Amino acid sequence: MQSRTITALAAAVVLTAGACSSSATTAPAGGSSAPAASTGAGSSTAVGGKSVTIGVDLPLSGGEFANGDPTKKGIELAVNQANQKGGVAGYKIVLSIKDDAVNGVHNPQQGATNIQGFVADPTVIGVVGPFNSNVGAAEIPVSNRAGLLQCSPANTNPGLTKPQYGALSIRSAYPNRINYIRVATTDDIQGLAGAEFAYNDLGKRRAYVVDDTETYGKGLADVFVTQFKALGGTVIKQDGAPSSTTDYTPLLTAVQGQNPDVVYFGGVTATGGGLLRKQMAQVGMGNIAFGGGDGIVDGPGNVQGSFIKVAGSAAANSFGTVAATHDIPNASAFSDAYKAAYGAAPGAYSASAYACTQVILQSLQAVAGSASGSGLREAVRAYATDSSHSFTTQLGTISFDQNGDTTQHIISFYKTDMSAAGGVGDWVFVRQQDFGGAGSSGASAAPGASSAASPAASQ
Amino acid sequence: MQMQRSIRLPSRVRRGPYQLVGAVAICLVAAYILVGAQQFSNFLTVGAIYALIALGYTMVYGIIELINFAHGDVFGMGAFVALWLLTVAGFHGAIDNPLVLAVVLVALFLLTMGIMGLVGMVIERVAYRPLRNAPRLAPLITAIGVSFILENIMQAFFGPSPVTSPQIFDLNARFNVAGASIGYLNVFIVLVAVALMIALQVFVGRTRLGRAMRSTAQDREAAQLMGVNIDQTIAITFFIGSALAGAGGIVWALYFGYALFNQGFYAGLFAFTAAVLGGIGNTTGAALGGFFIGFLYVAAAQYGYFRWFEVLVFGVLVLVLVFRPSGLLGQQLGERA
Repeated sequence: MQSRTITALAAAVVLTAGACSSSATTAPAGGSSAPAASTGAGSSTAVGGKSVTIGVDLPLSGGEFANGDPTKKGIELAVNQANQKGGVAGYKIVLSIKDDAVNGVHNPQQGATNIQGFVADPTVIGVVGPFNSNVGAAEIPVSNRAGLLQCSPANTNPGLTKPQYGALSIRSAYPNRINYIRVATTDDIQGLAGAEFAYNDLGKRRAYVVDDTETYGKGLADVFVTQFKALGGTVIKQDGAPSSTTDYTPLLTAVQGQNPDVVYFGGVTATGGGLLRKQMAQVGMGNIAFGGGDGIVDGPGNVQGSFIKVAGSAAANSFGTVAATHDIPNASAFSDAYKAAYGAAPGAYSASAYACTQVILQSLQAVAGSASGSGLREAVRAYATDSSHSFTTQLGTISFDQNGDTTQHIISFYKTDMSAAGGVGDWVFVRQQDFGGAGSSGASAAPGASSAASPAASQ
Repeated sequence: MQMQRSIRLPSRVRRGPYQLVGAVAICLVAAYILVGAQQFSNFLTVGAIYALIALGYTMVYGIIELINFAHGDVFGMGAFVALWLLTVAGFHGAIDNPLVLAVVLVALFLLTMGIMGLVGMVIERVAYRPLRNAPRLAPLITAIGVSFILENIMQAFFGPSPVTSPQIFDLNARFNVAGASIGYLNVFIVLVAVALMIALQVFVGRTRLGRAMRSTAQDREAAQLMGVNIDQTIAITFFIGSALAGAGGIVWALYFGYALFNQGFYAGLFAFTAAVLGGIGNTTGAALGGFFIGFLYVAAAQYGYFRWFEVLVFGVLVLVLVFRPSGLLGQQLGERA
């Protein structure tokens, strides 16, 4: 859950990262000759033989180890299983693992340097990673120029793929040659899912919406408003409160007389989510439902700065969405295999990383007959990003749309339970739902597709 | 006596105190009609906090003509000191016994304001005094540097996330008047702010140190010739200004129940606008400017233009600087041309 928060917070950062990425990523060109943080499991052996390399770029040191390591093991598990079966189409799979953390924190520059290392290695047919959206924003320009396939298990920022969020400037070298795909759905689906949940599951009809005026928050809130109205609900008002706002009482006072039955917040806890909820209780609106995106689903009440900690007892009766699969298919089989290999339970993104590896391996299997040697990289990229192909993965059957986003739009819903986590309060899983198709082309998607989403359609 | 007289009357706007009181009363009534009773109490609370911060800005400017950009972060640090003191003292929730609450509040205000006053003096001694005779750009840039240093110190000690504060004042203690539900805490905040402002006026206008401050503001060299200890006077100005910002921080921690390491940045900018609006260097003007910003805040929320609040505030700043650079009330602490 915490890693989700990091991704969400990165959404705010990614705008800046994206803005300077075109200049930033050309700078470290010389770095490719010396990939500093390579912790590689020796790769470039047997270039002429039957072996290919999959690159791995994840944050693997410092405080990020907890995120990166179980993700990396998901990749290793998939590769080991493939090699035990005699490889893929006669190729033995080798991993080259690089760390994009510098001083223990994920670093976009280091990520770009790592990708340049993979680009320079002709045996690399694809890369799994990165973990963080702002690292992705720095890496995609490099891999896009080179036509190297990247599959991210965890990125959720829409700006990495969707043109209306600025993705064309990130893949400006070849805007129509998609090379970056991901198995996590994008943040913008959350607003849509939040509206469905408020209207159908909670039966709310009158919403008051506040956003933090930032990319992530405003995007989330705008989609919520569109969808909530399309469902037949009333949006009393949408206010924008910049992250410098600390006193929400005048805003709440202004709508109190119009009897909202749900308040939706687009933003993260640090930009006001927790305070808004807390002050709702202060002005006597505490028993009105409250909702938001993964920016407020940020851990139990004993974590400093979390939504539940900031809002205190007022956090009750809140819901949140997370753009990830909570319950994966065949979870126990995967979990058993992972435990047998590593002696620990899989991490939040192990299955996603496993799925990314599966996509690369299945692409290799499909193209191995018609391509080889230096043509293999391009053939794998072209196969994986072709939206007519589908892949059988640990996350289910998935394919990728014209921007490289997964067609599987699973959103998980969580509610606050103030008795959870030993009485300090925590987010508990409610259900998950695939919003497939509903938002495949982004926030502006026709809300009509929502009719497929009924409250009964859980999991 | 002659000097005192000439100073208490602003040079540009020769308006008697009764006229000013009347104008303020009319503005308050207009505000009440515009936003209603509930929002009126919100407005006074927010305004009081901005006013407390704006006072320190204006005092420092009045005496050494420095826009002390670190002042907003002194306020932010005041909130942290208050919440730290409350946490260390072992408080968790509201204190029910009014007597105990009063004692704790008095101790809290004395300690926090004292600590923040000392912090202000240290900042002045370390960062501004060596530059007192340097070109005016130098201390201005130093002030921005001090602002970053303070923010980073707070981040190092308290982390980058919002830190929650024990709220010893029961937020649910409210009373109904004119159809509005008003918290006792809101009343307390406004009373504290007004009391501190009156105390400041009395101090500057009636005491020996206050007279030293005014004379330093008016003509530093002449004041020195007349035996005023300039260094000491400026240090005391920083002490008082920072202590008032500290009071703003306490009120903040009590009311919002949290602090964030960089919260002083925006609050400082808004308060700076308030000080300019009232006439930078003029303590009455700064207080009124603070309430004006508070009114803008509430009115923007009431009428659905909250997204534009920052535009409104800084738009006002630009308009004042263009059309009335000396502010609504003119400069008063000294009489600078």
